[in-house]
Amino acid sequence: MEFDTAVKLNIYETIAETTKAPTSAEVARALDASVEEVEAAFARLHKKRLLVPEPGNPSHIRMAPPFAGIETAFLVKVRDKSYYANCAWDALGISAALHDDTVVAASDGYSGEPIILEVKNGSPVPQECAIHFAVPAARWWDDIIYT
Amino acid sequence: MLLFRSEETVTQWCEARSVPKRPIINLEQLWHLSVTWYENRLTVDSRRPAPDEMVAIFARIGLTGPFWDPKADQWS
Repeated sequence: MEFDTAVKLNIYETIAETTKAPTSAEVARALDASVEEVEAAFARLHKKRLLVPEPGNPSHIRMAPPFAGIETAFLVKVRDKSYYANCAWDALGISAALHDDTVVAASDGYSGEPIILEVKNGSPVPQECAIHFAVPAARWWDDIIYT
Repeated sequence: MLLFRSEETVTQWCEARSVPKRPIINLEQLWHLSVTWYENRLTVDSRRPAPDEMVAIFARIGLTGPFWDPKADQWS
């Protein structure tokens, strides 16, 4: 297996198991590699748009989409675990990635009113909501944290 | 992208920030995108869809035009 693939899998498997994104040092220990090698892999995975290192701190992961490396406004419960997602797309994406049902605690982007999204038996439970894209697709990765 | 209770609060959000209202999708469309993007994310071969694949994915749920084209340099 290529090193970058091993890094990617370690990150995603760690998050799925622990709900927390590993640091570069933790990935390095798991793969018997150096921190420098792992952080270089983080950068290459970022170019492939599979990972977003924390701005200014390449040892930490801000996003491993659909998972968030920090607390966000999208809390996703899967069985007895709780994950944070980057946005509504990613919140449902955690259900898709883990192939399991979820309950997402979110809120209205304007009013702050709570919104619960649920995936049950592999499909979203009907719920009135509107997902607004302020940024065109060609610009999503100009500032993916904002997008 | 942001989640709202209804199109009404999308309008209020846009007006409060003096930004144009842009495309809105519903929960079924969002679920299609979530599954397409992420159902294989924990596997060895997972990757993000390429730009041309993205255009086809969006078109399948009725999202067409330059706004949904990752290679476009103009949109409305």
